[in-house]
Amino acid sequence: METLRRNRTLLITLAILAFLLFTAIQGLSTRDWVITLLRGISVGAITFLVASGLSLIFGLLDVLNLAHGTLFMIGAYVGWTTYLRPDTLVDLLPPVLLLAAGLLLGPFWAALVGRWRTSRTVSRAWPWAALILAVALATLVFAQWPLARWDPAVAAQSPATYSLQLDQAIKAGQARAAPAPAAQGGLLRLAGAFLGSALLALGLAGFSAARYGGAGKVTGAPRRWALGALLLVTGVGIYTGDAALTRFLFGLDTAWLFLIALLVALVTGAALGALMEITLIRPLYTRPIYQLMLTLGLGVSGIELVQAIWGRTEFNMPKPALFQGSGAGCPATSIVDWLANGCSTIDMLGGRIRTYNELFVILIGVIVLVAVSVLLQRSRLGMIIRAGVQDSEMVEALGINVRQVFTLVFALGAALATLGGIIAAPSMGLSPLMGESLLLAALIALAIGGLTSFPGAAAGSLLVGLVQQFIIKYGQIGIRLPFLEQPFKPTPPLVPASTVLLMVIILLVLPQGLFGRKE
Amino acid sequence: MPDAILEVQEVHTFIGQFHILQGVSVSVPRGGIVVLLGRNGAGKTTTLKTILGLLPPRQGQVIFDGQSVQGRRSFDIAALGIGFVPEHRAIFRSLSVAENLKIAERARGDLDRKADFIFGLFPDLKRLYRLPGNHLSGGQQQMLAVARALVPDNRLLLIDEPSEGLAPIIIEQMMHAIRQLSAESTVLLVEQNFVVASQLAESYVIIEEGRSVQAGLMADLVVDRETIQRYLGAA
Repeated sequence: METLRRNRTLLITLAILAFLLFTAIQGLSTRDWVITLLRGISVGAITFLVASGLSLIFGLLDVLNLAHGTLFMIGAYVGWTTYLRPDTLVDLLPPVLLLAAGLLLGPFWAALVGRWRTSRTVSRAWPWAALILAVALATLVFAQWPLARWDPAVAAQSPATYSLQLDQAIKAGQARAAPAPAAQGGLLRLAGAFLGSALLALGLAGFSAARYGGAGKVTGAPRRWALGALLLVTGVGIYTGDAALTRFLFGLDTAWLFLIALLVALVTGAALGALMEITLIRPLYTRPIYQLMLTLGLGVSGIELVQAIWGRTEFNMPKPALFQGSGAGCPATSIVDWLANGCSTIDMLGGRIRTYNELFVILIGVIVLVAVSVLLQRSRLGMIIRAGVQDSEMVEALGINVRQVFTLVFALGAALATLGGIIAAPSMGLSPLMGESLLLAALIALAIGGLTSFPGAAAGSLLVGLVQQFIIKYGQIGIRLPFLEQPFKPTPPLVPASTVLLMVIILLVLPQGLFGRKE
Repeated sequence: MPDAILEVQEVHTFIGQFHILQGVSVSVPRGGIVVLLGRNGAGKTTTLKTILGLLPPRQGQVIFDGQSVQGRRSFDIAALGIGFVPEHRAIFRSLSVAENLKIAERARGDLDRKADFIFGLFPDLKRLYRLPGNHLSGGQQQMLAVARALVPDNRLLLIDEPSEGLAPIIIEQMMHAIRQLSAESTVLLVEQNFVVASQLAESYVIIEEGRSVQAGLMADLVVDRETIQRYLGAA
């Protein structure tokens, strides 16, 4: 009886799943329901990548990050660009690394400014001067880099053209010709990027000193200097080796390029998340409504920003060669067979399954689920996160820098969303609005799972994915209802509506959600 | 006082716009136990939180071991060697007993080093080591909260209402434990139960409406019926 009570939520989830599955597969052939089931799990996996980050951030920081869908989309666009035009990555890395190196100076500036006594007017005015100078310098410098120079109207420059070329080259079994590295700024411009960000850091230090008083000593100074020096050296190194590196990247197999795209998306997400938490979210912890509005606004401006850089057109992303083949030996009959021939489909479980959409995506979902669970349950950071969800003040009183943990968790959550974006891109395609529907699905999944619970996010996402896909399937074949002459065919608007309905039913029975805790 | 481990000098603390502490001074000599006395809402807990920087003072300062902690963040202040046992047995309920202790480590191996001492004080915790915190009784949770503050080498322990809501026999155990651990580090206690406070502490500070109004030796206070009546109500 005791074990029954303790595993109540698990049993309820399983019962709902079994019931839904049982009703859902009535009237479907084995082939159909296996495919639909896998598609549901796959959509659930992508939803989970967004929902898990949301739930981690909401649990520890009490911030409902409505910009999470936008982060998902940015992950897709950044990863896609890296995948198709690695030369863009190589060209952009030096200024970005130098920018980061300049920002690292912040705490040193703060310590310096703290010692500097001036009149009130001067101490209020000079940070503005530094800020304006920094922005002017940054505009001047960054206008020269490729991302800003892309003109979506010029077909030859557009990554969409590369996407098409890559697609055709693979189908024809040919290697791509590497484009000449884009012309880029000289060392002087690189120095400008560094100077600009150092000025920006100085300006910010000035503002915080004017408001909160100067900071004391710098914590972890040697590590900071080392990291800054490393960034500087790497940035200049990439700049000097630009042509060789570009040639090397274009010569790589698509699977490797895809892996690099994943990493770039992850790092971009983590960096954006950390930046967002430190600069915008942190000052507003005492004002949750403002925070909510801020994340909403960031989400919308993020979409506009992406449209400004990449245009409004929708793109597709060619899958890596491993998931693209259709020649001899395809469709594959086993996993080994698939790995040998790189087939796009595989005959398994009585159906024809797409290797990328249904196998790889689910695999990534499972890997992330296991990895984050292990992080939460087994590591010291995970212990601090779980304790902080309950009482972050007490964690701070134990001598743990909770603010730093907050930044880490925000970065982690954002990185999971951008990872989701690049994983979803080859199967969903890219559009500036791709994040919005996913954010809604993830929020519903969270509500079903119980907001702050990590296993809840997984279970909720799975349910949302399954319900969506089964409704879509029934939209094609119709449901036979006893009181209707014709089979009832759910229309496309019913797909999102069905998940909302599921949420309503679950919340009526369990107001805390499946894994939620009573307060 | 020349050898004070903690000097709280005329601190003023605000919570939001409310002026809670309006001049509290506390001096804690090294070794032994000092108790903060006063009615509900007088500002005793706020004083502890001010010391730790959880509620930074707007005026006045806190000096720990000869060093001002002004401008430091809480985690940094705690890391100087201050342990905090908050009121209401604030352990981490979703963490196991073992994790509740391990999270307090400031250096790897702290818990292994102190395990014998901690389980000597609270033998129950050894038996409950693997259980989640929310399965513990009130008394066991309070023991865990105190034990957690003992894991790193803290020179000062701030203990807020250790006897609150506990059965008399558990209070006995708790008092015994606090007396023993005060041999290792200085204790600043907040205690509503005057009987407990008078048996534990060597000296006292009375806080009344956000001001420290009187301080002295416990031995003198016990016989001073008038003061007890005036500031603490019936004793």
